[in-house]
Amino acid sequence: MKTSAVFSTFLSLLSLGSAASSERKSSSTSTTLPATFKPPQVFKNSNLVHVISVEKNYVKENINVLIENIDKTAQDEYFVPFTADQMSRLGGVEVKDRKDSSAGPFIAEAVEFDQESDIQYLRIRFPKPLAPGASQTLGITYYLLKAYKPLPASIKQEEQQYLFFSFSAYCPSAYTTSKQKTEVKFPTSNIPDYTKLPGSGDVKEFPQKQGSKLTYGPFDEKPAGATQPVSVRFEFNKPVTHVSRLERDIEVSHWGGNVAFEERYTLHHRGANLSALFNRVKWQQAQYYQPNTFALKEMKFPLRVGSADAYYTDVIGNVSTSRFRSNKREALLEIKPRYPVFGGWKYPFTIGWNSDAKNFLRKTATGGFVLNVPFLEGPRQQEGVEYEQVQVRVILPEGAENVKYHTTIPTQSIIEAGVEIHRTYLDTLGRTALVIKARNLLDDFRGRELTVTYDYPLMASLRKPLVIFGSAMAVFVGAWVVGNLELKFATRK
Amino acid sequence: MDSSLHEVWQAAAGSPFVPTVGKSSQFLVAFILLLLGFSLGGAFALNRSVVNLPVLAVPAALALAFGVVYMFCAVGVYV
Repeated sequence: MKTSAVFSTFLSLLSLGSAASSERKSSSTSTTLPATFKPPQVFKNSNLVHVISVEKNYVKENINVLIENIDKTAQDEYFVPFTADQMSRLGGVEVKDRKDSSAGPFIAEAVEFDQESDIQYLRIRFPKPLAPGASQTLGITYYLLKAYKPLPASIKQEEQQYLFFSFSAYCPSAYTTSKQKTEVKFPTSNIPDYTKLPGSGDVKEFPQKQGSKLTYGPFDEKPAGATQPVSVRFEFNKPVTHVSRLERDIEVSHWGGNVAFEERYTLHHRGANLSALFNRVKWQQAQYYQPNTFALKEMKFPLRVGSADAYYTDVIGNVSTSRFRSNKREALLEIKPRYPVFGGWKYPFTIGWNSDAKNFLRKTATGGFVLNVPFLEGPRQQEGVEYEQVQVRVILPEGAENVKYHTTIPTQSIIEAGVEIHRTYLDTLGRTALVIKARNLLDDFRGRELTVTYDYPLMASLRKPLVIFGSAMAVFVGAWVVGNLELKFATRK
Repeated sequence: MDSSLHEVWQAAAGSPFVPTVGKSSQFLVAFILLLLGFSLGGAFALNRSVVNLPVLAVPAALALAFGVVYMFCAVGVYV
């Protein structure tokens, strides 16, 4: 009987594996086109406003564009050009109809046509084709990671940090743009250097500076692919936090009624390096008279209410400089790295916590289970946090099957999803683990949901006690058998 | 990805998952079960017979089985 149980479980695992491979195919976010591909000139950008926000340690760009179909047939594909370098750092693409928020989902996906080409395209598919002559207002939002370089590249620990960022004053577009302007928003009004361009109309010189905002434009008609490289250098006296890899585990326990979270961060500071050795005395003095620094010295993790048993460790072991406040209204984990993290430094660490299963897990009407957890939690920092590679692993109980998931993270960010086997304490076959790999995510997406449904048959849930029962019975029966063995020489009667 | 899953979550609002043994009583339950399991196991060890296999060994093994699972949970390894 046990053999058949093992065999059926193996079969179910195989079916999970095949489901996973089909997921892999479906979650692919790129399409292939011929190497000679050029976007057909079927649209015209009547008016375009490009807002670049460099307020945080990643760049958030927002293109609001009024497009007009100038072709004779209805069109449903709009292309946005990026350089190959930008494409690798692009994340969180979301497209909306600015005038009609109920318009169906716009699907943004990278187009693969020639790996060698410096210009790559993002294709936006409309929910319904745009009729000839008709107009539509698109709001395209995306983020660029690893966008800045510190300038100067190395400074003293008490100095201010400045960052350098270059972009195009004309919004890169695959179509002719009639009218456009580019606004750049900065964290402070201290912008010592920026490229100046000759003005047009009433304006003598671009950009116009208003507080912490620079405006290039309005510009008159520009052809498709027109660029005007400009660069800015601005004060950014905050850490440039970059998480090169985040591994987030969510472990569901039905026996314990618990959902355990663990996050392993590989954190880098991409800001200015120190020009001299780190001076602990100066650092400690500066905490009183100049607490504003570009070093990373504290992180705050607002967790879901009901979180408990938080821990914070690094390669050495427990880090005692943390506080965890958990009450009816909030659960806030505040951690201080073991050392202040300056530019070019790295700090890998791990945090974890538990929560009651009832906060995240529900029973469905069909007898299955549904889990709803945040895809990303992580620190909430004023300067923002960027994540280059994210791996979210939902470890379901041993024997869970028929796993389905849905997440509100932009689909363009998800690179792979599948079901694997994770083995840990008291497991015989290993637990079903849903692994989702994503890239180029930002703290703006913290709290986006991940919903997972699965079935968990009664026999699968009883596997652990049954295995222990079997082992204990084997010991008892073994003891009885061994005890009954006659090892003495029989006396002749 | 199946976008209807969010509705499944909303529809299940009235039935949160509650375990058979709550977190606060896991240690007590586990301790009693293990104590029972080891006592019965000890009694069987002192008097091994075919009759005592179902009378003592089977209940002992059952108590140990659930006791071990709950003791794992009680000490923070949520299996």
